[in-house]
Amino acid sequence: MADVIEVHELRKSFPGVEAVRGLDLRVAAGELFGLLGPNGAGKTTTLRMLTTLLPIDAGRAVVAGADVARDPRAVRRRIGYVGQVGGADLPATGRENLLLQARLYGASRADAARRAEELVEALALGAFANRPASTYSGGQRRRLEIALGLTHRPTVLFLDEPTTGLDPQNRANLWEQLRALRAGGTTIVLTTHYLEEADALADRLAIVDTGRVVAEGSPRELKTQIAGDTVTLRPRGDAEPVRALLAPQPFVREARLHGDALRLTVPDGTDALPRLLDVLTGAGVELASLALVEPTLDDVFLRVTGRALRDAEAAGASADGAARAGVAA
Amino acid sequence: MRALTQIRLLWWRKMLETIRQPVWVIGGLTTPLLYLLLFAPLLDRLAGSPAFPRGEILDVFLPGLLALLAFSSGMGAGWGVIAELQTGVVERLRVTPTSRFALLLGGVLRDVVVFLLPAVVVVAVAVPFGYHAHVAGLAGYLALLCLVTAATSAWSSALGLILRDIGGLAAVVTGLQLPLTLLSGVLLPLSLAPGWLRVLAHVDPLYYAVQASRALSDGVVDADRVGLGVLVTVVLTVAMLAWATRCYRRVAA
Repeated sequence: MADVIEVHELRKSFPGVEAVRGLDLRVAAGELFGLLGPNGAGKTTTLRMLTTLLPIDAGRAVVAGADVARDPRAVRRRIGYVGQVGGADLPATGRENLLLQARLYGASRADAARRAEELVEALALGAFANRPASTYSGGQRRRLEIALGLTHRPTVLFLDEPTTGLDPQNRANLWEQLRALRAGGTTIVLTTHYLEEADALADRLAIVDTGRVVAEGSPRELKTQIAGDTVTLRPRGDAEPVRALLAPQPFVREARLHGDALRLTVPDGTDALPRLLDVLTGAGVELASLALVEPTLDDVFLRVTGRALRDAEAAGASADGAARAGVAA
Repeated sequence: MRALTQIRLLWWRKMLETIRQPVWVIGGLTTPLLYLLLFAPLLDRLAGSPAFPRGEILDVFLPGLLALLAFSSGMGAGWGVIAELQTGVVERLRVTPTSRFALLLGGVLRDVVVFLLPAVVVVAVAVPFGYHAHVAGLAGYLALLCLVTAATSAWSSALGLILRDIGGLAAVVTGLQLPLTLLSGVLLPLSLAPGWLRVLAHVDPLYYAVQASRALSDGVVDADRVGLGVLVTVVLTVAMLAWATRCYRRVAA
């Protein structure tokens, strides 16, 4: 399928912080694409540039067929955006929010009313659409904000940390709604720092760290190609000779001792296990325990960045604060 | 045409917000009425003094009072802008194909209405107390004062977009409010002031609008007060609107 987003060598600096440093990205039409990374990695800054909110320092970005730097107006007509803090006009009712949004995109009064009704239906806003948005719960407000992002049937919908602050039930509902949208043909790009969210939701994702894409692929690809499965085994007796035995095997990528346990990284666990058992039986090694653990995206993150996502969170917080400050007056 | 529709839609958004908080509407009226009822009577003894040579206190006092109302009606805009930055409304609207000027003008025009309606009520109340309205002059200086509100509102909005912080905005706006108000001679004409103060007043843009309003209120159209006042106010309004539009284009978050 054709690429809806093409980003090449994108760069953005703020005073004292190089937030995005040469980021490349391709998103195909109809994909649900995730940008995963710790706070301060440059995800939000990237999204702001792609949605015309921030000027691009260097590099090129084409979104829905229009160059972001040269023709921001065309980009704005084709994209929807749901920001991190939301964007619902709180003193106005949900319906007023939707009507205004539709009219700002050029809909006639009648078309705007029709579209608002469709969105109230689609996102189940009916029970509270005529109340001021200031009275909404977190989940209700998020739904309204997503409806606002969808008002003009955008080709691409960008969502910045859409589930942050939602309870598990509302998060699950939102995931369902996003999957339904994707099924309807909308390309969706979302940022998240939740591993499970990226894993469960994204067709493909890019891991972003210190302003660059450090890995890109489907969650499954990333996990098998980059992290691999982990086999943990505890031999009866000394583990070191077992490590020496297994490390050179062709199906073992890495073998490490952790106390009396031996941890093997293998590209494909289901393939490796029978072969592993053959080798161990042949050498007369008896096992106290054996476990196969599939990798998580955290393992992928650890492998490509050298640190765990949670540690990166702490380190990135300050850079993120700087990226958020000030007007470029 | 498209831009006009956007301006109207965004203005109405802010109007609905105002109408739903009637406290603000009442607040806009009480301040000038209290000045009229509790402060203007103090001036009666001054009739015939250099400030009021013809003894017509309200004719001098009312245009100044309305200028004060015009100035303060626009000043609060920045607070609203910061609130909308924090709830993401500004960002959401900036991703739509809406003109940045329309985003600004929605709030500015609301402030103009919020000035004009109480101003008309105050004039209506002042007439029975002895205000001699020169109708064309009154219309003229109300129009001029609408520009003062627009310029102040744009100024406050721009500061809100740049400072993004209520504390910082309050420090700048309220810090400037008092000197600008005092130097403009809104409450008592600067004809009472010593020479150095009268010279200093010329750095205050509001001073020119007040001078022009007093002249127009008397039905006088002259170059040194009305001409200059209109010129300063128009230039200032255009400059502030341009600056604030630029800030809407550039706001970072």
